[in-house]
Amino acid sequence: MIKNVLSDLGGVGLYGVISICIFFAFFTGALIWTFAQRKSLMNTMELLPLADDETPAQEGDSRHE
Amino acid sequence: MKIETFKYDNRIVRAFAIATIIWGLVGMCAGLLAAVQLFWPAANLNLQFVSFGRLRPLHTNAVIFAFVGNGMFMGIYYSLQRLCKARMFSDKLSWINFWGWNAIIVAAAITLPLGLTTSKEYAELEWPIDIAIALIWVAFTVNLLGTIIRRREKHLYVAIWFYIATALTVAVLHIVNSMEMPAGPFKSYSMYAGVQDALVQWWYGHNAVAFFLTTPYLGLMYYFLPKAANRPVFSYRLSIIHFWALIFIYIWAGPHHLLYTALPDWAQSLGMVFSLMLIAPSWGGMLNGLLTLRGAWDKVRQDPMLKFMVVAVTAYGMATLEGPMLAIKSVNSLSHYTDWTIAHVHTGALGWNGFLTFSMLYYLFPRLYRTQLYSVKLANWHFWLGLLGIMFYVIPMYCSGLTQGLMWKQFTKDGFLQYPNFLETVLQIVPLYRLRAIGGSLYILGTIMCAYNLYRTAKGGSFEPDTEAQAAAIADDAGAPKEKGHRWLESKPILLTVLAVVAIAIGGVVEMVPMFLIKNNVPTISSVKPYTPLEVLGRDLYIREGCVGCHSQMIRPLRSETERYGEYSKAGEFVFDHPFLWGSKRTGPDLHRVGGKYPDAWHYKHMEDPRSTSPGSIMPQYTWLLTQKLDTNALPARLSALRKIGVPYPAGFENGPAQADLAAQAAKVVANLRIGSVSNAPPDSEIIGLIAYLQRLGTDIKSAPKAAAPALSSNPSPKS
Repeated sequence: MIKNVLSDLGGVGLYGVISICIFFAFFTGALIWTFAQRKSLMNTMELLPLADDETPAQEGDSRHE
Repeated sequence: MKIETFKYDNRIVRAFAIATIIWGLVGMCAGLLAAVQLFWPAANLNLQFVSFGRLRPLHTNAVIFAFVGNGMFMGIYYSLQRLCKARMFSDKLSWINFWGWNAIIVAAAITLPLGLTTSKEYAELEWPIDIAIALIWVAFTVNLLGTIIRRREKHLYVAIWFYIATALTVAVLHIVNSMEMPAGPFKSYSMYAGVQDALVQWWYGHNAVAFFLTTPYLGLMYYFLPKAANRPVFSYRLSIIHFWALIFIYIWAGPHHLLYTALPDWAQSLGMVFSLMLIAPSWGGMLNGLLTLRGAWDKVRQDPMLKFMVVAVTAYGMATLEGPMLAIKSVNSLSHYTDWTIAHVHTGALGWNGFLTFSMLYYLFPRLYRTQLYSVKLANWHFWLGLLGIMFYVIPMYCSGLTQGLMWKQFTKDGFLQYPNFLETVLQIVPLYRLRAIGGSLYILGTIMCAYNLYRTAKGGSFEPDTEAQAAAIADDAGAPKEKGHRWLESKPILLTVLAVVAIAIGGVVEMVPMFLIKNNVPTISSVKPYTPLEVLGRDLYIREGCVGCHSQMIRPLRSETERYGEYSKAGEFVFDHPFLWGSKRTGPDLHRVGGKYPDAWHYKHMEDPRSTSPGSIMPQYTWLLTQKLDTNALPARLSALRKIGVPYPAGFENGPAQADLAAQAAKVVANLRIGSVSNAPPDSEIIGLIAYLQRLGTDIKSAPKAAAPALSSNPSPKS
């Protein structure tokens, strides 16, 4: 497929192979890295936006009606 | 552990929030006026400054860079401080960012109606403003990275990754696409020509959607959605994969805007394949967003902010499924140049960006003003009106796109075009344009309600300029052995930045390098010659009036197109086109082979009043072209700028011979006009230049074997 895609290109064989290798390596790396992360770290990370629950307008907070 | 006390800057968030609302309304109203002109051309009051061609870029720029841009800064400045547990790196830079960005928008609002445009979609602003954008963006990036480096929270939440990718990629895209040669204070020519310009432009255009309208808003989704639902994101691991997959794949997909054009086939196929792959990360992200709400759907019923968020994420899912579908070549051959694209982008703009922005505004105002939302009921009204507005906008545009696309392709059983007159296909969809304007109006009405609701919320509360917070510093309390670890952590944003740049650079390099280095990607055609001086000025008028917004100059190698317009467009025909003017929408017919199709006088009368030659046409009148004088003084600067970027005008041509050449060609046009019983045309009027340019279009390849002229007349009905 990729060979056809790039068939008008000079040195196409090499070019396509390099692209697909980078692509494959990148994704494999990202997947391995992600799943190698500790569960505890993931739990900490996902709670970050909730960490500072700064005074959202509460019912009854009637300083200014 | 030393606890530090510091303050979050709310003033800057409020400033961006107010700018978001104001510019949102301006941008939407500009869009509505443009939409109305499509069924009622006189709505431009015959003013050149608000004619469709100039208004459309104003609308797109206002909505993208002013509404979404300010909304993005609003959300980033709020969430970044809290995620980093630090005030912004520099208040000064924050305000430079705010005032600079908004000054740029004001500059756009002035220059675009004046017709000062490069004509490259979403990059229309001229070179001095381009420089300003680059500088302001640097200020933002420094402020962003500075805050991250000074943070008190050692972990970088995924939202921040999206912000970093946004800052860097937009900078790269903007700089590469804005390479242009100045030819006056507000005039420039793209460094690239023809096919190369098209590739760079749509690499930029597509990734402006990706990295201006998508990645920052995904970051904001990952922050505000868990906040609103009060529960963590469904899968943090998925969000990481979402991030890397998205930024890596997105950058490759640009050529799907150029399917079936003169772009080399390999580049088209590359764009298509990567576009299809994009479904995976996009839907991963969408599902991650929606699944975050599992068990919290009862909240969605009560909280208008969550309602907006749910529709936004759903719209993101729909648009990102539809996008790859439209990138399939066979689908694209039907959808491209039609209103289908308009429907697609508005699902994204109104649904994803618009609703997410409203959601953030409803979240932020009560918090910034230490009060409750003035009226939940009004916010609910806004929600339903907005949703109805999107429906009334998008559904008619789908119908319109499909109807017109199919009509263009319809052949009779004898093998002739069923609708050879382009205008016939336009008249069929005009009622849908009316419906679309109703949809837009509903959406604007909702936005006005939002503005009022937020105004009353602000009135009823008291603004808190700084929010005090406390956190431990991450570096100070560490002993010697830990220093190393912390230093490594602090270098992480830099590492992340570098990796993100590498990820986005690969796709761009693979697409562009061969295009620029390998000659046979753009086969030259010996009969293709540079434009004459009069044609150059005419082409500049074509650019000024934004003709490219409605007329393509790219005939695809499809039978329905070659039958209608003539020989399909070849890459070699555009080698002197700085910038390329292929266009992306056919509200009017393609013009690449219009040269020689009609007499000069027809063009004159058509520009004076399109309805006189084409009854029912929705094209605006261009009466000012008949009276305004052609700016021949600009000629030397323009020709010399073009020569500097590779157009082979002989040395010294611009000083004397060019003016003589121009006068001679203008005299010929005037003589032709007389034959067509237009006797009052001044030879120095703008219309003369425009006619010269239009008559030149697409004729180069016919000039080689002389007298091949009538090849174009397969369309028997000379109507626009």
